[in-house]
Amino acid sequence: MVSLDENMLVKKIQKGDQLAWSDLVLRYEGRLTNYAQGKIKDHASCQDLVQESFLGFLANINNFDASRSIQSYLFGILSNKITDLLRSYGRLRTVETPVDSSGNQKSSPYIDPAMGASTWYRGDEKKKLENDALIKGLRLLINQLVQRKDYLKLKSIELIFVNGLSNLEAANILGIDNKTVASHRHYANNFIIDNLKKMNLSPSVFPHLSEQDQD
Amino acid sequence: MTITKATLDAFIDDHLNEQDSIRVEKAVRESQELNTLLKSIIASRDMGDHSIGAIWRREHLSCPTREELSSYKEEALDPQRIDYIKFHLETVGCKACKANLSDLICTKNSLTNPDANEKHQQFLENSKILLPKKV
Repeated sequence: MVSLDENMLVKKIQKGDQLAWSDLVLRYEGRLTNYAQGKIKDHASCQDLVQESFLGFLANINNFDASRSIQSYLFGILSNKITDLLRSYGRLRTVETPVDSSGNQKSSPYIDPAMGASTWYRGDEKKKLENDALIKGLRLLINQLVQRKDYLKLKSIELIFVNGLSNLEAANILGIDNKTVASHRHYANNFIIDNLKKMNLSPSVFPHLSEQDQD
Repeated sequence: MTITKATLDAFIDDHLNEQDSIRVEKAVRESQELNTLLKSIIASRDMGDHSIGAIWRREHLSCPTREELSSYKEEALDPQRIDYIKFHLETVGCKACKANLSDLICTKNSLTNPDANEKHQQFLENSKILLPKKV
């Protein structure tokens, strides 16, 4: 969620305030550059990508979604630019298609060279509505766990959802049993489903919510 | 390491640590099934569909605030919160928070470097043309 301070900053920039723009660049430049440098070693390219991200933000300032944080938005633009750059190098995910016993590729590389620049939301309004509802539900869930200081549950679901680990792998990392992790996952799924229902949305649009762990 | 749909999703977002990323790359290269699944996830994302994990990562839903990271650096938070932020940085491996923390730790402000400062000023000057007209 955008803080009042950030909201004011965006409003000022929308009115053409140069100082506000300079303030925003100063605030986010360092963290964005560090983020880019974690993925691309060439410092000059990192600086270019960060500046392009700022320009992308500024070019769309009047359409900025006030419910989003500037930081997430800027990291998102930068991340897409990094992805596009790595794709242009043919380096993004060096995974190629399976090879046969002679070492020949069975089919073309999975990265479609014709694939265009990454986009965030190509979906229609309905998809955006569903995604927004999911974001809201997840925020409520995380806030609730933080307020209750139920960090173990938060850690479990973060490892499962964010890092894509199985219940067993998450349990091993956290030093707890598999069943406890399964119950955390169940709790999170139910919380999100209930929230979607409250907003008159069908949880079926997010099949992951009904997927059970393979353990 | 079990490679699930959620693992591939995290892999696409470049969220996995280097070791796991290499494991997934190898597995996808060797398995037609995983390769097909990976392609289908990418196609589905390009259509606008996103998993819970992708949305969580993109929106940085569990990331501590900049102020919290600053307090974390000074160890001026509740021990449980410190433990969680450490987990988020080191175990989850949140790259955005790591970048944020490095920026906070970095004592050498880039603007004290004349070259960097000049570049920064030049960028601000050049980008002004995109600023909306003053009302």
